[in-house]
Amino acid sequence: MTETTSADPAGKKILMVMTTGPEDPDKTYAPFYTAALMAAMEIDTTMYFLMHAPELLKKGAAEKVPLKKGGSLKMFVDMALENGVKFLACAESCRDLCEIAPGELIDGVKLVGSATMADLALEADSVLSF
Amino acid sequence: MAILNGCEFPEDRAYFIERTQMTWVKVEGDRITVGLTDPAQTRAGKILHVRLKVAGTSRERGKPIATVESGKWAGPVMAPVTGTVVEPNAEVEKDPSLLNTDPYGRGWIVKMTATVPAEIATLLTGAEALARFKEILEKDNIRCMRCQT
Repeated sequence: MTETTSADPAGKKILMVMTTGPEDPDKTYAPFYTAALMAAMEIDTTMYFLMHAPELLKKGAAEKVPLKKGGSLKMFVDMALENGVKFLACAESCRDLCEIAPGELIDGVKLVGSATMADLALEADSVLSF
Repeated sequence: MAILNGCEFPEDRAYFIERTQMTWVKVEGDRITVGLTDPAQTRAGKILHVRLKVAGTSRERGKPIATVESGKWAGPVMAPVTGTVVEPNAEVEKDPSLLNTDPYGRGWIVKMTATVPAEIATLLTGAEALARFKEILEKDNIRCMRCQT
């Protein structure tokens, strides 16, 4: 299959806003896969997790999210982290909605406030929402 | 040709093995050809899309020279040494499955000039490369197979 190549996107910034949690497994895979790919393309890629999405980042949680073609979400979470995607979790969502303590999150996740999402959205070349 | 877990490793290549990277390098003077190894293409699964850096792109060692997507894996192919891309493989751009079916032949990824020739000596060869691959294949339970188109 021929891939149409546009201008090299290296150095651009993308913010992905993730609101879906383990309640809808089919909607969890594509954002991590896409983020991993974008990071591999040298796009500065950040995933911001809010509402129920931080539940995917709880230690042991991604292993329990099944994928249609077998396996679990864990390999895609790991792939995104390996490729350099930055994971930010909304502190308010973690505390008030998901009831996750900071120590319960996987390594590589930074807890931030809602204002950070505003800063990132304004700085980004593009914002994607899942 | 050495074979481990069904994975082929031609003896006329050097290998760049770091983090998730498992690429082969054929050295001809200051020119190198880079491609995915058998375990790398197996781990990726059937490759659907590939993007290659264009000729003239300068890359430091460890920076991407291509991105590969298979649906179950998406990641960069890193430059094994610092250099400049002189030829991306146009045939692979048209038919990425060559990375699976002929990784050491028509499925080469890019040709580069090595601008820091001393880095070539850091690539693994022979028994040293095989020992490292053996470790990875066992740890990640990789047994090679070639996808057919």
